Amino acid sequence: MIDNFSILLSHALILIMFWRLVHNVRTDIEEPPRPDEDAAGFAANIRRQRHSRKKMDGPSDA
Amino acid sequence: MRDLVFVGYLGLLFLLAFKRPFLFVLAYCYIDIVAPQRLSYYLLNSIPLSAISFGLAFLAWLFFDDKKDSRFTPRMGAILLLLVYCGYMTTQALEPVAAQVKWDWVWKALIFAAFLPLTLTRKVRIEALVLMLILCASALIVAGGIKTAVGGGGYGQLVILVDDNSGLYESSIISTVAIAIIPLILWAAKYGTIFPPDWRVRAYAAALILVCLLIPVGTAARTGLVCIAVLGVLLLRFTQRRILYFSLIGAVGLAAIPFLPSTFTDRMETIQEYEKDESASTRLAVWKWTWDFAQANPMGGGFDSYRVNKIRYKMPLTDEEGRLTGESTTVEVVDAGRAFHSSYFEMLGEHGYFGLALWLFIHVGGVWRMEMLRRLYIKRAREDEEWVAPLALALQNFSIIYLVGSVFVGIAFQPFPYVIVAAQIGLDSYLARRRAEAAFRPIRSVLKRPESKLSTPAV
Repeated sequence: MIDNFSILLSHALILIMFWRLVHNVRTDIEEPPRPDEDAAGFAANIRRQRHSRKKMDGPSDA
Repeated sequence: MRDLVFVGYLGLLFLLAFKRPFLFVLAYCYIDIVAPQRLSYYLLNSIPLSAISFGLAFLAWLFFDDKKDSRFTPRMGAILLLLVYCGYMTTQALEPVAAQVKWDWVWKALIFAAFLPLTLTRKVRIEALVLMLILCASALIVAGGIKTAVGGGGYGQLVILVDDNSGLYESSIISTVAIAIIPLILWAAKYGTIFPPDWRVRAYAAALILVCLLIPVGTAARTGLVCIAVLGVLLLRFTQRRILYFSLIGAVGLAAIPFLPSTFTDRMETIQEYEKDESASTRLAVWKWTWDFAQANPMGGGFDSYRVNKIRYKMPLTDEEGRLTGESTTVEVVDAGRAFHSSYFEMLGEHGYFGLALWLFIHVGGVWRMEMLRRLYIKRAREDEEWVAPLALALQNFSIIYLVGSVFVGIAFQPFPYVIVAAQIGLDSYLARRRAEAAFRPIRSVLKRPESKLSTPAV
């Protein structure tokens, strides 16, 4: 009886999990992550260069 | 009747998996861990269930999964290298027949461990895998725990579902795994999305942890007690009030002792008096033999090479009641074909220094990578990534408990820990890809000229 209870409980939960995964689109499709506030890579280098150039040039004339 | 139920159940799982092909991977995990063919009498035993489910899992990934998110990592390479090396050593084995028997299930465990990370390309999939491992192990653990609670158990006597001394059904292995999955249960109960945390999930998790702790009591496996001690230390790592924690654990432990069965306490006492315990003396003798064997055979002797060992060791004299007499005289014991009783010596004796190095790289590498991930994601402190560091810690704790438990039990090729390794690799690859996606800025958006004097035509 203990064996049957253990098998029943675990297998029922596995079946529920399967059912929920079937109806969960995130099993196959995921939204892209929220972009980082600080970029990285080539684009970030260009941004930093532009930012430091702005600082050196000072405020523009009105 | 039971056969029909299991056949129907498997049919249902496969039917659902045709709708979501990733579920074939989980179905294979179920068949590998619970092994319903062992619980069945005839029907399932006549079908190559593992082969069918792995074939379906692989074909589903090949034809229906988006492979652009799959990554190949160094540890996957190490698993494949270990597979090839073990295959080669099987052809050179000192005990070819026994080696072939072990190889027949080892290669499946390694192939699946190398393949599985390719499918873990979504957060839900990683969570589903962890949950699947917990629920599959719970099929055995709940039965063993309840039987222990109602007075059953004893070394070699606790029958968990079936009287089978292999795989997860073996007492030392189930003791180690039962304790090692406790961190994962805690994680799933707090951060799960498939079974979102509510009072039912928390109640089930608490009950499951309790029966997990009862498994070492029921099996009277000393390894289990050692694993509990390691778990206690690991959980202490991030506890704020350590003195209170220690005091509570100590008080609960002392209060529980009178309720523990004498078979358990008697066996645990032998940890201190290992000199008069024959199994401990055998272990030391086999380990010494394996060390000497590896000097002469640096590549190992293939699977089950322990069968060629002949060991002699001395044990101190004991009186009729098993107490040490204190005399200097000893009795010599001669033994042959004694198993390694340690995963480290199992790897050394079967596959030499190279095999041991690969095995350590695979498992210790996981401990290290999970630590790196944990520290990185605590530093990132993003709201949508709160689940990452605790999962990395839980997977790391599993590996540490497994590595400590493995010192005393030969479980180097058990499939369960390799699935955990695959979960670690999958998590690592998935997070690396997501970090790269989050950091990416299309060059066009950066080169787009800002509204400044440059855009204003010169007068």
